[in-house]
Amino acid sequence: MRNGNYNQTLNAGAQKTQSRRNLMSWLLTAPALIWLILFFLVPYFIVVIYSFLTPDIYDVQFEFSLEAYRQALNLQYLSTFFQSFRLAALTTLLCILLGFPVAYYIARAKDKVKNTLLVFIIIPFWTNLIIRIFSWRIFLSYNGVLNDLLMRSGLINQPLEIMRTDLAVLLVMVYVYLPYMILPLYSVLEKLDFTLLHAAMDLGANEIKAFFRITLPLAAEGIFAGSLLVFIPALGAYLIPQLVGNQRSLYLGQVITYKIKNIPRNWPMASALSLTLLVFVAILLVALFALYKRSKKLRRV
Amino acid sequence: MKRLNISRFYQGMNLTAFSLVMVFLYIPILILIIFSFNNAKIITGWRGFTLKYYFQLFENDTIKEAFRNTMVIAGLSTFISTVLGVLTALGMENKKFSGRKLMSALIYVPLVIPDILMGVSLALLFNFTRVNTGMFTVLIAHITFCISYTVIVIQSRLEGFNYSLVEAAMDLGARPAYIFWKIKFPLMLPGIIAAALLAFTLSIDDFIITFFTSGRGFDTLPIYVEGTIRRGTITTINSLSTLMIGFTLFLVVITKRLRKILISTI
Repeated sequence: MRNGNYNQTLNAGAQKTQSRRNLMSWLLTAPALIWLILFFLVPYFIVVIYSFLTPDIYDVQFEFSLEAYRQALNLQYLSTFFQSFRLAALTTLLCILLGFPVAYYIARAKDKVKNTLLVFIIIPFWTNLIIRIFSWRIFLSYNGVLNDLLMRSGLINQPLEIMRTDLAVLLVMVYVYLPYMILPLYSVLEKLDFTLLHAAMDLGANEIKAFFRITLPLAAEGIFAGSLLVFIPALGAYLIPQLVGNQRSLYLGQVITYKIKNIPRNWPMASALSLTLLVFVAILLVALFALYKRSKKLRRV
Repeated sequence: MKRLNISRFYQGMNLTAFSLVMVFLYIPILILIIFSFNNAKIITGWRGFTLKYYFQLFENDTIKEAFRNTMVIAGLSTFISTVLGVLTALGMENKKFSGRKLMSALIYVPLVIPDILMGVSLALLFNFTRVNTGMFTVLIAHITFCISYTVIVIQSRLEGFNYSLVEAAMDLGARPAYIFWKIKFPLMLPGIIAAALLAFTLSIDDFIITFFTSGRGFDTLPIYVEGTIRRGTITTINSLSTLMIGFTLFLVVITKRLRKILISTI
Protein backbone atom coordinates (compact mmCIF):
# COMPACT_ATOMS: atom_id res chain seq x y z
CA MET A 1 0.00 0.00 0.00
CA ARG A 2 2.81 2.30 0.93
CA ASN A 3 4.43 1.78 -2.46
CA GLY A 4 1.13 2.21 -4.25
CA ASN A 5 0.65 5.70 -2.87
CA TYR A 6 4.15 6.69 -3.80
CA ASN A 7 3.76 5.52 -7.35
CA GLN A 8 0.58 7.41 -7.95
CA THR A 9 2.06 10.70 -6.90
CA LEU A 10 5.57 10.47 -8.25
CA ASN A 11 6.59 10.84 -11.89
CA ALA A 12 9.47 9.73 -14.10
CA GLY A 13 11.87 9.64 -11.15
CA ALA A 14 9.73 6.99 -9.54
CA GLN A 15 10.51 4.46 -12.25
CA LYS A 16 14.20 4.91 -11.65
CA THR A 17 13.86 4.57 -7.89
CA GLN A 18 11.73 1.51 -8.44
CA SER A 19 14.29 -0.26 -10.57
CA ARG A 20 17.05 0.73 -8.18
CA ARG A 21 15.08 -0.71 -5.28
CA ASN A 22 14.50 -3.85 -7.29
CA LEU A 23 18.22 -4.23 -7.91
CA MET A 24 18.87 -3.66 -4.22
CA SER A 25 16.40 -6.45 -3.39
CA TRP A 26 18.17 -8.82 -5.77
CA LEU A 27 21.50 -8.01 -4.15
CA LEU A 28 20.18 -8.51 -0.63
CA THR A 29 18.46 -11.80 -1.39
CA ALA A 30 21.25 -13.12 -3.63
CA PRO A 31 23.27 -14.95 -0.93
CA ALA A 32 20.27 -16.92 0.34
CA LEU A 33 18.98 -17.42 -3.19
CA ILE A 34 22.25 -18.89 -4.41
CA TRP A 35 22.59 -20.98 -1.25
CA LEU A 36 19.11 -22.48 -1.60
CA ILE A 37 19.55 -23.16 -5.31
CA LEU A 38 22.85 -24.95 -4.67
CA PHE A 39 21.88 -26.89 -1.57
CA PHE A 40 18.13 -27.27 -1.82
CA LEU A 41 17.15 -27.29 -5.48
CA VAL A 42 20.17 -28.89 -7.18
CA PRO A 43 20.26 -31.89 -4.77
CA TYR A 44 16.74 -32.85 -5.92
CA PHE A 45 17.92 -32.97 -9.51
CA ILE A 46 20.61 -35.37 -8.38
CA VAL A 47 17.97 -37.47 -6.66
CA VAL A 48 16.06 -37.61 -9.94
CA ILE A 49 19.20 -38.65 -11.83
CA TYR A 50 20.16 -41.29 -9.26
CA SER A 51 16.70 -42.83 -9.37
CA PHE A 52 17.39 -43.88 -12.98
CA LEU A 53 20.79 -45.44 -12.29
CA THR A 54 21.95 -48.96 -11.45
CA PRO A 55 22.72 -49.77 -7.81
CA ASP A 56 26.11 -50.92 -6.60
CA ILE A 57 27.09 -52.31 -3.21
CA TYR A 58 28.74 -49.11 -2.02
CA ASP A 59 27.81 -46.58 -4.68
CA VAL A 60 25.94 -46.29 -7.98
CA GLN A 61 26.85 -47.26 -11.52
CA PHE A 62 26.14 -44.65 -14.15
CA GLU A 63 24.00 -46.95 -16.26
CA PHE A 64 20.42 -46.13 -17.10
CA SER A 65 17.86 -48.37 -15.46
CA LEU A 66 14.16 -48.29 -14.58
CA GLU A 67 14.54 -51.12 -12.10
CA ALA A 68 14.09 -48.86 -9.04
CA TYR A 69 10.66 -47.66 -10.16
CA ARG A 70 9.61 -51.15 -11.18
CA GLN A 71 10.50 -52.39 -7.70
CA ALA A 72 8.92 -49.40 -5.97
CA LEU A 73 5.55 -50.54 -7.33
CA ASN A 74 5.98 -53.96 -5.73
CA LEU A 75 3.47 -55.02 -3.16
CA GLN A 76 6.14 -54.87 -0.45
CA TYR A 77 6.84 -51.17 -0.97
CA LEU A 78 3.21 -50.31 -1.53
CA SER A 79 2.44 -51.77 1.87
CA THR A 80 5.29 -49.71 3.35
CA PHE A 81 3.68 -46.61 1.87
CA PHE A 82 0.32 -47.65 3.23
CA GLN A 83 1.81 -48.33 6.65
CA SER A 84 3.38 -44.84 6.81
CA PHE A 85 0.23 -43.21 5.49
CA ARG A 86 -1.89 -44.93 8.13
CA LEU A 87 0.52 -43.90 10.89
CA ALA A 88 0.53 -40.27 9.73
CA ALA A 89 -3.26 -40.18 9.41
CA LEU A 90 -3.86 -41.74 12.84
CA THR A 91 -1.30 -39.43 14.43
CA THR A 92 -2.98 -36.38 12.90
CA LEU A 93 -6.44 -37.51 13.97
CA LEU A 94 -5.38 -38.21 17.56
CA CYS A 95 -3.53 -34.90 17.71
CA ILE A 96 -6.68 -33.05 16.64
CA LEU A 97 -8.83 -34.90 19.19
CA LEU A 98 -6.38 -34.35 22.04
CA GLY A 99 -5.15 -30.93 20.96
CA PHE A 100 -8.50 -29.25 20.41
CA PRO A 101 -9.74 -29.24 24.02
CA VAL A 102 -6.29 -28.21 25.21
CA ALA A 103 -6.03 -25.31 22.77
CA TYR A 104 -9.60 -24.32 23.62
CA TYR A 105 -8.83 -24.36 27.31
CA ILE A 106 -5.75 -22.19 26.92
CA ALA A 107 -7.54 -19.79 24.57
CA ARG A 108 -10.30 -19.24 27.14
CA ALA A 109 -7.98 -18.95 30.13
CA LYS A 110 -7.31 -15.60 31.76
CA ASP A 111 -4.70 -13.48 29.98
CA LYS A 112 -2.23 -13.75 32.84
CA VAL A 113 -2.31 -17.55 32.91
CA LYS A 114 -2.31 -17.94 29.13
CA ASN A 115 1.38 -17.35 28.57
CA THR A 116 2.40 -19.69 31.38
CA LEU A 117 0.18 -22.43 29.97
CA LEU A 118 1.67 -21.90 26.53
CA VAL A 119 5.18 -22.19 27.90
CA PHE A 120 4.21 -25.58 29.34
CA ILE A 121 3.23 -26.71 25.86
CA ILE A 122 6.38 -25.25 24.30
CA ILE A 123 8.98 -26.70 26.70
CA PRO A 124 8.68 -30.31 25.47
CA PHE A 125 8.67 -28.91 21.95
CA TRP A 126 12.04 -27.32 22.63
CA THR A 127 13.46 -30.40 24.29
CA ASN A 128 15.66 -32.55 22.13
CA LEU A 129 13.59 -35.01 20.08
CA ILE A 130 15.85 -37.95 20.72
CA ILE A 131 15.67 -37.38 24.47
CA ARG A 132 11.90 -37.34 24.41
CA ILE A 133 11.84 -40.60 22.48
CA PHE A 134 14.41 -42.09 24.82
CA SER A 135 12.34 -41.13 27.87
CA TRP A 136 9.45 -43.16 26.46
CA ARG A 137 11.72 -46.15 26.12
CA ILE A 138 12.47 -45.94 29.82
CA PHE A 139 8.79 -45.59 30.57
CA LEU A 140 7.47 -48.34 28.32
CA SER A 141 10.22 -50.95 28.17
CA TYR A 142 9.76 -54.52 29.40
CA ASN A 143 11.24 -53.84 32.83
CA GLY A 144 10.46 -50.13 32.63
CA VAL A 145 8.58 -47.83 34.94
CA LEU A 146 5.06 -48.44 33.64
CA ASN A 147 5.34 -52.21 33.90
CA ASP A 148 6.93 -51.88 37.32
CA LEU A 149 4.06 -49.76 38.58
CA LEU A 150 1.39 -52.00 37.08
CA MET A 151 2.99 -55.15 38.50
CA ARG A 152 3.36 -53.67 41.94
CA SER A 153 -0.22 -52.49 42.03
CA GLY A 154 -1.22 -56.03 41.09
CA LEU A 155 -3.07 -55.03 37.93
CA ILE A 156 -0.99 -57.37 35.80
CA ASN A 157 1.08 -60.46 36.53
CA GLN A 158 3.37 -60.29 33.55
CA PRO A 159 5.02 -57.22 32.07
CA LEU A 160 3.17 -55.82 29.06
CA GLU A 161 5.09 -55.79 25.83
CA ILE A 162 4.33 -52.29 24.63
CA MET A 163 7.79 -51.35 23.48
CA ARG A 164 8.63 -52.41 19.94
CA THR A 165 5.01 -52.42 18.80
CA ASP A 166 3.13 -50.24 16.33
CA LEU A 167 1.08 -48.98 19.25
CA ALA A 168 4.22 -47.60 20.91
CA VAL A 169 5.16 -45.90 17.65
CA LEU A 170 1.74 -44.24 17.43
CA LEU A 171 1.85 -43.19 21.07
CA VAL A 172 5.25 -41.52 20.78
CA MET A 173 4.32 -39.93 17.45
CA VAL A 174 1.29 -38.29 19.07
CA TYR A 175 3.46 -37.23 21.97
CA VAL A 176 6.05 -35.60 19.73
CA TYR A 177 3.69 -33.93 17.27
CA LEU A 178 0.96 -32.75 19.68
CA PRO A 179 2.47 -29.27 20.27
CA TYR A 180 2.55 -28.71 16.48
CA MET A 181 -1.23 -29.15 16.52
CA ILE A 182 -1.97 -27.24 19.71
CA LEU A 183 -0.11 -24.05 18.77
CA PRO A 184 -1.86 -23.25 15.45
CA LEU A 185 -5.21 -24.32 16.94
CA TYR A 186 -4.61 -22.00 19.85
CA SER A 187 -3.77 -19.04 17.65
CA VAL A 188 -7.06 -19.46 15.77
CA LEU A 189 -9.20 -20.12 18.83
CA GLU A 190 -7.68 -17.17 20.62
CA LYS A 191 -9.01 -14.82 17.95
CA LEU A 192 -12.41 -16.49 18.01
CA ASP A 193 -15.18 -14.16 19.00
CA PHE A 194 -16.94 -15.89 21.86
CA THR A 195 -19.84 -13.45 21.73
CA LEU A 196 -20.92 -15.27 18.56
CA LEU A 197 -21.32 -18.42 20.61
CA HIS A 198 -23.35 -16.63 23.23
CA ALA A 199 -25.50 -15.04 20.55
CA ALA A 200 -26.16 -18.41 18.98
CA MET A 201 -27.09 -19.90 22.31
CA ASP A 202 -29.31 -16.97 23.19
CA LEU A 203 -31.11 -17.70 19.95
CA GLY A 204 -31.71 -21.22 21.20
CA ALA A 205 -28.84 -23.27 19.80
CA ASN A 206 -27.47 -25.75 22.30
CA GLU A 207 -23.76 -26.16 23.03
CA ILE A 208 -23.32 -29.03 20.64
CA LYS A 209 -25.03 -27.27 17.77
CA ALA A 210 -23.12 -24.08 18.49
CA PHE A 211 -19.87 -26.01 18.51
CA PHE A 212 -20.45 -27.65 15.15
CA ARG A 213 -21.99 -24.60 13.49
CA ILE A 214 -19.68 -21.87 14.83
CA THR A 215 -16.56 -22.97 16.71
CA LEU A 216 -15.51 -25.76 14.39
CA PRO A 217 -15.88 -23.86 11.07
CA LEU A 218 -14.03 -20.88 12.51
CA ALA A 219 -11.27 -23.12 13.85
CA ALA A 220 -10.96 -24.91 10.49
CA GLU A 221 -7.97 -22.82 9.53
CA GLY A 222 -6.08 -23.91 12.65
CA ILE A 223 -6.99 -27.56 12.16
CA PHE A 224 -5.82 -27.27 8.57
CA ALA A 225 -2.46 -25.70 9.49
CA GLY A 226 -1.90 -28.09 12.39
CA SER A 227 -2.72 -31.12 10.26
CA LEU A 228 -0.14 -30.08 7.68
CA LEU A 229 2.48 -29.59 10.40
CA VAL A 230 1.76 -33.06 11.78
CA PHE A 231 0.83 -35.18 8.79
CA ILE A 232 3.67 -34.31 6.41
CA PRO A 233 6.66 -34.82 8.75
CA ALA A 234 4.92 -37.93 10.12
CA LEU A 235 4.95 -39.47 6.63
CA GLY A 236 8.74 -39.46 6.62
CA ALA A 237 9.29 -40.36 10.28
CA TYR A 238 12.45 -42.37 10.88
CA LEU A 239 13.68 -41.90 14.41
CA ILE A 240 10.50 -42.81 16.31
CA PRO A 241 9.78 -46.09 14.47
CA GLN A 242 13.47 -46.91 14.68
CA LEU A 243 13.75 -46.43 18.43
CA VAL A 244 10.38 -47.67 19.72
CA GLY A 245 9.05 -49.78 16.83
CA ASN A 246 9.98 -53.25 15.68
CA GLN A 247 11.95 -54.39 12.69
CA ARG A 248 9.14 -56.56 11.33
CA SER A 249 6.99 -53.70 10.11
CA LEU A 250 9.18 -51.00 8.61
CA TYR A 251 7.99 -47.49 7.86
CA LEU A 252 8.93 -45.51 4.77
CA GLY A 253 11.53 -43.37 6.54
CA GLN A 254 13.29 -46.51 7.75
CA VAL A 255 13.27 -48.18 4.34
CA ILE A 256 14.72 -45.07 2.65
CA THR A 257 17.39 -44.71 5.34
CA TYR A 258 18.40 -48.37 5.16
CA LYS A 259 18.76 -48.17 1.38
CA ILE A 260 21.14 -45.23 1.78
CA LYS A 261 23.08 -46.26 4.88
CA ASN A 262 23.15 -50.06 5.02
CA ILE A 263 25.34 -52.20 2.83
CA PRO A 264 24.48 -53.37 0.20
CA ARG A 265 23.33 -49.88 -0.63
CA ASN A 266 20.62 -49.18 -3.11
CA TRP A 267 20.64 -45.48 -3.82
CA PRO A 268 18.45 -45.62 -6.94
CA MET A 269 15.78 -47.33 -4.84
CA ALA A 270 16.10 -44.74 -2.05
CA SER A 271 15.85 -41.99 -4.68
CA ALA A 272 12.79 -43.50 -6.33
CA LEU A 273 11.04 -43.91 -2.96
CA SER A 274 11.98 -40.35 -1.92
CA LEU A 275 10.62 -38.94 -5.16
CA THR A 276 7.41 -40.91 -4.80
CA LEU A 277 7.00 -39.44 -1.32
CA LEU A 278 7.78 -35.96 -2.65
CA VAL A 279 5.23 -36.23 -5.45
CA PHE A 280 2.63 -37.56 -3.03
CA VAL A 281 3.21 -34.63 -0.67
CA ALA A 282 3.07 -32.15 -3.55
CA ILE A 283 -0.24 -33.54 -4.83
CA LEU A 284 -1.62 -33.51 -1.31
CA LEU A 285 -0.60 -29.88 -0.75
CA VAL A 286 -2.02 -28.68 -4.07
CA ALA A 287 -5.29 -30.53 -3.46
CA LEU A 288 -5.60 -29.23 0.08
CA PHE A 289 -4.92 -25.65 -0.88
CA ALA A 290 -7.47 -25.83 -3.70
CA LEU A 291 -10.00 -27.22 -1.25
CA TYR A 292 -9.12 -24.57 1.27
CA LYS A 293 -9.51 -21.73 -1.23
CA ARG A 294 -12.86 -23.07 -2.37
CA SER A 295 -14.19 -23.42 1.14
CA LYS A 296 -13.07 -19.88 1.90
CA LYS A 297 -14.89 -18.60 -1.16
CA LEU A 298 -18.00 -20.53 -0.20
CA ARG A 299 -17.94 -19.13 3.28
CA ARG A 300 -17.77 -15.61 1.96
CA VAL A 301 -20.86 -16.15 -0.24
CA MET B 1 -29.14 -21.17 33.98
CA LYS B 2 -29.10 -24.44 32.12
CA ARG B 3 -26.77 -22.90 29.55
CA LEU B 4 -24.32 -21.83 32.22
CA ASN B 5 -24.17 -25.33 33.66
CA ILE B 6 -23.45 -26.89 30.32
CA SER B 7 -20.77 -24.29 29.69
CA ARG B 8 -19.19 -25.13 32.97
CA PHE B 9 -19.36 -28.80 32.10
CA TYR B 10 -17.52 -28.13 28.84
CA GLN B 11 -14.89 -25.99 30.51
CA GLY B 12 -14.42 -28.74 33.09
CA MET B 13 -13.99 -31.26 30.33
CA ASN B 14 -11.39 -29.06 28.70
CA LEU B 15 -9.58 -28.67 31.99
CA THR B 16 -9.52 -32.45 32.37
CA ALA B 17 -8.16 -32.83 28.85
CA PHE B 18 -5.58 -30.16 29.52
CA SER B 19 -4.41 -31.82 32.73
CA LEU B 20 -4.22 -35.23 31.07
CA VAL B 21 -2.17 -33.82 28.22
CA MET B 22 0.15 -32.14 30.70
CA VAL B 23 0.70 -35.47 32.46
CA PHE B 24 1.22 -37.11 29.07
CA LEU B 25 3.77 -34.47 28.06
CA TYR B 26 5.76 -34.40 31.26
CA ILE B 27 5.67 -37.87 32.84
CA PRO B 28 8.33 -39.43 30.58
CA ILE B 29 10.65 -36.45 30.99
CA LEU B 30 10.26 -36.47 34.78
CA ILE B 31 10.98 -40.18 34.95
CA LEU B 32 14.07 -39.67 32.83
CA ILE B 33 15.35 -36.96 35.16
CA ILE B 34 14.66 -39.03 38.28
CA PHE B 35 16.35 -42.10 36.84
CA SER B 36 19.47 -40.16 35.93
CA PHE B 37 20.19 -40.22 39.68
CA ASN B 38 19.42 -43.93 40.00
CA ASN B 39 22.31 -46.13 41.07
CA ALA B 40 21.69 -48.94 38.56
CA LYS B 41 23.27 -50.04 35.30
CA ILE B 42 20.02 -50.95 33.53
CA ILE B 43 16.49 -49.63 33.73
CA THR B 44 15.06 -51.28 36.80
CA GLY B 45 13.53 -50.10 40.04
CA TRP B 46 15.05 -47.49 42.29
CA ARG B 47 18.47 -48.53 43.67
CA GLY B 48 19.52 -45.43 45.56
CA PHE B 49 20.72 -41.95 44.77
CA THR B 50 23.97 -41.35 42.91
CA LEU B 51 25.72 -38.65 40.95
CA LYS B 52 28.27 -41.00 39.44
CA TYR B 53 26.75 -40.98 35.97
CA TYR B 54 27.17 -37.22 35.90
CA PHE B 55 30.84 -37.57 36.74
CA GLN B 56 31.20 -40.26 34.10
CA LEU B 57 29.90 -37.77 31.56
CA PHE B 58 32.75 -35.40 32.17
CA GLU B 59 35.28 -38.20 31.89
CA ASN B 60 33.93 -39.46 28.59
CA ASP B 61 35.97 -37.99 25.74
CA THR B 62 33.55 -39.11 23.03
CA ILE B 63 30.74 -37.19 24.69
CA LYS B 64 32.93 -34.16 25.16
CA GLU B 65 33.88 -34.21 21.50
CA ALA B 66 30.27 -34.70 20.39
CA PHE B 67 29.30 -31.76 22.58
CA ARG B 68 32.02 -29.59 21.07
CA ASN B 69 30.95 -30.58 17.55
CA THR B 70 27.31 -29.80 18.32
CA MET B 71 28.15 -26.36 19.67
CA VAL B 72 30.47 -25.45 16.79
CA ILE B 73 27.90 -26.52 14.20
CA ALA B 74 25.04 -24.80 16.05
CA GLY B 75 27.03 -21.59 16.58
CA LEU B 76 28.25 -21.30 13.00
CA SER B 77 24.99 -22.31 11.35
CA THR B 78 23.05 -19.91 13.60
CA PHE B 79 25.34 -17.04 12.75
CA ILE B 80 25.38 -17.63 9.00
CA SER B 81 21.68 -18.45 8.64
CA THR B 82 20.72 -15.40 10.72
CA VAL B 83 22.86 -13.06 8.61
CA LEU B 84 21.35 -14.56 5.44
CA GLY B 85 17.92 -14.24 7.06
CA VAL B 86 18.36 -10.55 7.83
CA LEU B 87 19.57 -9.77 4.30
CA THR B 88 16.78 -11.77 2.67
CA ALA B 89 14.06 -10.30 4.87
CA LEU B 90 15.28 -6.78 4.06
CA GLY B 91 15.33 -7.60 0.35
CA MET B 92 11.84 -9.07 0.48
CA GLU B 93 10.47 -5.98 2.16
CA ASN B 94 10.12 -4.45 -1.27
CA LYS B 95 6.67 -5.71 -2.31
CA LYS B 96 7.45 -5.06 -6.00
CA PHE B 97 10.66 -7.11 -5.98
CA SER B 98 10.62 -9.12 -9.20
CA GLY B 99 12.20 -12.18 -7.57
CA ARG B 100 9.75 -12.24 -4.70
CA LYS B 101 7.76 -15.28 -5.81
CA LEU B 102 10.85 -17.36 -6.55
CA MET B 103 12.40 -16.46 -3.23
CA SER B 104 9.21 -17.18 -1.26
CA ALA B 105 8.93 -20.57 -2.91
CA LEU B 106 12.52 -21.45 -2.05
CA ILE B 107 11.94 -20.41 1.55
CA TYR B 108 8.56 -22.05 2.17
CA VAL B 109 8.89 -25.31 0.24
CA PRO B 110 11.60 -26.81 2.51
CA LEU B 111 9.20 -26.35 5.43
CA VAL B 112 6.38 -28.36 3.90
CA ILE B 113 8.26 -31.46 2.83
CA PRO B 114 9.45 -34.19 5.21
CA ASP B 115 12.98 -33.39 6.39
CA ILE B 116 14.22 -36.88 5.60
CA LEU B 117 14.04 -35.82 1.94
CA MET B 118 16.47 -32.97 2.54
CA GLY B 119 18.80 -35.46 4.22
CA VAL B 120 18.59 -37.90 1.29
CA SER B 121 19.07 -35.20 -1.34
CA LEU B 122 22.10 -33.69 0.40
CA ALA B 123 23.63 -37.14 0.96
CA LEU B 124 23.38 -37.78 -2.77
CA LEU B 125 24.74 -34.32 -3.60
CA PHE B 126 27.82 -34.94 -1.48
CA ASN B 127 28.23 -38.37 -3.02
CA PHE B 128 27.84 -37.03 -6.53
CA THR B 129 30.36 -34.23 -5.99
CA ARG B 130 32.71 -36.60 -4.11
CA VAL B 131 32.99 -34.26 -1.13
CA ASN B 132 34.28 -35.91 2.03
CA THR B 133 31.46 -35.92 4.55
CA GLY B 134 32.19 -34.47 7.97
CA MET B 135 31.92 -31.18 9.75
CA PHE B 136 31.83 -29.14 6.56
CA THR B 137 28.93 -31.04 5.01
CA VAL B 138 26.94 -31.05 8.27
CA LEU B 139 27.42 -27.30 8.51
CA ILE B 140 26.13 -26.77 4.97
CA ALA B 141 23.09 -28.94 5.72
CA HIS B 142 22.28 -27.12 8.94
CA ILE B 143 22.51 -23.69 7.34
CA THR B 144 20.23 -24.91 4.55
CA PHE B 145 17.42 -25.99 6.86
CA CYS B 146 17.82 -23.00 9.21
CA ILE B 147 17.53 -20.29 6.52
CA SER B 148 13.78 -20.76 5.99
CA TYR B 149 13.08 -20.30 9.69
CA THR B 150 15.31 -17.25 10.19
CA VAL B 151 13.88 -15.49 7.13
CA ILE B 152 10.29 -16.10 8.20
CA VAL B 153 10.82 -15.00 11.81
CA ILE B 154 12.66 -11.80 10.83
CA GLN B 155 10.18 -11.08 8.05
CA SER B 156 7.23 -11.31 10.42
CA ARG B 157 8.94 -8.78 12.65
CA LEU B 158 9.47 -6.41 9.71
CA GLU B 159 5.83 -6.68 8.71
CA GLY B 160 4.65 -5.03 11.88
CA PHE B 161 7.18 -2.30 11.35
CA ASN B 162 6.25 1.31 11.97
CA TYR B 163 7.70 3.35 9.13
CA SER B 164 6.82 6.76 10.56
CA LEU B 165 10.10 6.73 12.51
CA VAL B 166 12.13 6.07 9.35
CA GLU B 167 10.20 8.71 7.42
CA ALA B 168 10.68 11.23 10.20
CA ALA B 169 14.43 10.57 10.23
CA MET B 170 14.53 10.94 6.44
CA ASP B 171 12.67 14.22 6.65
CA LEU B 172 15.21 15.40 9.16
CA GLY B 173 17.97 14.62 6.67
CA ALA B 174 19.49 11.47 8.19
CA ARG B 175 21.66 9.34 5.91
CA PRO B 176 20.41 5.83 4.97
CA ALA B 177 23.22 4.06 6.84
CA TYR B 178 22.51 6.12 9.92
CA ILE B 179 18.80 5.36 9.67
CA PHE B 180 19.51 1.66 9.35
CA TRP B 181 21.84 1.30 12.30
CA LYS B 182 20.12 3.77 14.64
CA ILE B 183 16.48 3.03 13.93
CA LYS B 184 15.77 0.01 11.82
CA PHE B 185 18.30 -2.42 13.24
CA PRO B 186 17.34 -1.85 16.89
CA LEU B 187 13.70 -2.37 16.00
CA MET B 188 14.57 -5.56 14.15
CA LEU B 189 16.75 -6.86 16.96
CA PRO B 190 14.09 -8.82 18.90
CA GLY B 191 13.17 -10.61 15.67
CA ILE B 192 16.82 -11.32 14.93
CA ILE B 193 17.39 -12.75 18.40
CA ALA B 194 14.27 -14.89 18.17
CA ALA B 195 15.43 -16.16 14.77
CA ALA B 196 18.91 -16.93 16.07
CA LEU B 197 17.56 -18.84 19.08
CA LEU B 198 15.25 -20.83 16.85
CA ALA B 199 18.09 -21.68 14.48
CA PHE B 200 20.28 -22.65 17.41
CA THR B 201 17.72 -25.04 18.90
CA LEU B 202 16.89 -26.53 15.50
CA SER B 203 20.56 -27.18 14.88
CA ILE B 204 21.18 -28.77 18.27
CA ASP B 205 18.02 -30.84 17.90
CA ASP B 206 18.53 -32.18 14.41
CA PHE B 207 19.14 -35.86 14.00
CA ILE B 208 18.01 -37.04 10.60
CA ILE B 209 19.68 -34.48 8.31
CA THR B 210 22.92 -34.73 10.30
CA PHE B 211 22.69 -38.53 10.10
CA PHE B 212 22.65 -38.35 6.30
CA THR B 213 25.35 -35.72 5.91
CA SER B 214 27.94 -36.59 8.57
CA GLY B 215 30.57 -39.13 7.83
CA ARG B 216 32.00 -41.67 10.22
CA GLY B 217 33.98 -40.01 12.96
CA PHE B 218 31.95 -36.82 13.11
CA ASP B 219 29.25 -37.17 15.76
CA THR B 220 26.96 -34.51 17.14
CA LEU B 221 25.16 -35.19 20.43
CA PRO B 222 21.93 -36.53 18.87
CA ILE B 223 23.95 -38.87 16.64
CA TYR B 224 25.99 -40.04 19.61
CA VAL B 225 22.88 -40.55 21.75
CA GLU B 226 21.10 -42.56 19.06
CA GLY B 227 24.11 -44.80 18.53
CA THR B 228 24.48 -45.38 22.25
CA ILE B 229 20.80 -46.21 22.69
CA ARG B 230 21.03 -48.73 19.86
CA ARG B 231 24.09 -50.35 21.42
CA GLY B 232 22.30 -50.51 24.75
CA THR B 233 24.67 -48.72 27.09
CA ILE B 234 22.38 -46.07 28.35
CA THR B 235 23.38 -45.08 31.87
CA THR B 236 25.20 -41.92 30.86
CA ILE B 237 22.42 -41.05 28.41
CA ASN B 238 20.06 -40.38 31.33
CA SER B 239 22.38 -37.85 32.88
CA LEU B 240 23.34 -36.36 29.52
CA SER B 241 19.65 -35.96 28.64
CA THR B 242 18.91 -34.33 31.98
CA LEU B 243 21.65 -31.78 31.37
CA MET B 244 20.31 -31.12 27.87
CA ILE B 245 16.80 -30.58 29.24
CA GLY B 246 18.28 -28.18 31.77
CA PHE B 247 19.94 -26.34 28.93
CA THR B 248 16.61 -26.10 27.08
CA LEU B 249 14.89 -24.66 30.14
CA PHE B 250 17.74 -22.19 30.48
CA LEU B 251 17.22 -21.11 26.86
CA VAL B 252 13.47 -20.69 27.38
CA VAL B 253 14.08 -18.54 30.45
CA ILE B 254 16.74 -16.33 28.88
CA THR B 255 14.62 -15.82 25.76
CA LYS B 256 11.87 -14.47 27.95
CA ARG B 257 14.30 -12.31 29.91
CA LEU B 258 16.03 -11.10 26.77
CA ARG B 259 12.76 -10.15 25.16
CA LYS B 260 11.71 -8.25 28.27
CA ILE B 261 15.01 -6.38 28.48
CA LEU B 262 14.92 -5.56 24.79
CA ILE B 263 11.36 -4.32 24.92
CA SER B 264 12.12 -2.16 27.92
CA THR B 265 15.17 -0.58 26.25
CA ILE B 266 13.37 0.30 23.03
